[in-house]
Amino acid sequence: MKTCIACGMPMEDISDFAAGDPGKDYCVHCSRPDGEMQSFEEKKENLTKFIVRTQGFDENAARKIAEDMMRKLPAWKKYFD
Amino acid sequence: MRTSKRQIQKLNTRKKIIETAYKVFSEKGFSVPSSIIAKEAGVSHGAIFAHFPTMDDLLISLLSDFGDKIGASLHALAKKSDSAENLLKEHLKVLEEYEAFYSRLISEKTRLPDEAKNTFAIIQSTVAFHFASVIEREIEKGTVKKLPIHMLFNTWMGLVHYYLLNKDFFSDSGESVIKRYGSELLSAYLNLIKK
Repeated sequence: MKTCIACGMPMEDISDFAAGDPGKDYCVHCSRPDGEMQSFEEKKENLTKFIVRTQGFDENAARKIAEDMMRKLPAWKKYFD
Repeated sequence: MRTSKRQIQKLNTRKKIIETAYKVFSEKGFSVPSSIIAKEAGVSHGAIFAHFPTMDDLLISLLSDFGDKIGASLHALAKKSDSAENLLKEHLKVLEEYEAFYSRLISEKTRLPDEAKNTFAIIQSTVAFHFASVIEREIEKGTVKKLPIHMLFNTWMGLVHYYLLNKDFFSDSGESVIKRYGSELLSAYLNLIKK
């Protein structure tokens, strides 16, 4: 099974893939409305907001967690080298 | 390619170290010296460092395994558009399976190395992700009160963690707190959040 290169989510169904295209390496949550993958900064901000919304953390603490998540993923590795 | 006897032996040693570390950390906490893990696993002290250069590496590896397990079971359920009740039941099931380790983790978290703390934060964020996707659907359907997601999530986690952290008051002789109180916690929580 493929996992999203930008967030690590397992992609099983067509609806999990960006723009419903199973050829894509990233998921529906990591794409822009036009189907392109979000940029590093966009993804970081979206993840940060998501952590604040779901866990209520301080924004700086949430951003740090978002960066730590991204550090382990193939799409963003080069930003941390 | 065939796996050589030596490679198989190496994998077995690694497995034994991980299983023993899981047991020793759960029983004695995370500051146990590596020599004790080596002794319990029946391997040389050097063998531990051949597989895990530092004790932190060993801890991170255990944490990642736990994270993968909890992530996989909640992912499967959240995808099925299941109810909050079933998702939380599954959450409790995984926590019960890993109860001793998880209780140590939450009680010693502030003393853990940064990378382990970060890995734990990522695991909890995965749980929050699945929780949010299920609970938002229930809010939309009108079956759960319209409260902020983080308060719904933190109330659940706070309740479960309180029982785990006070295991000595809630249970006797090492009995599982989740096994004994899980269904009571779940029904009380659902009563609080349901419309």
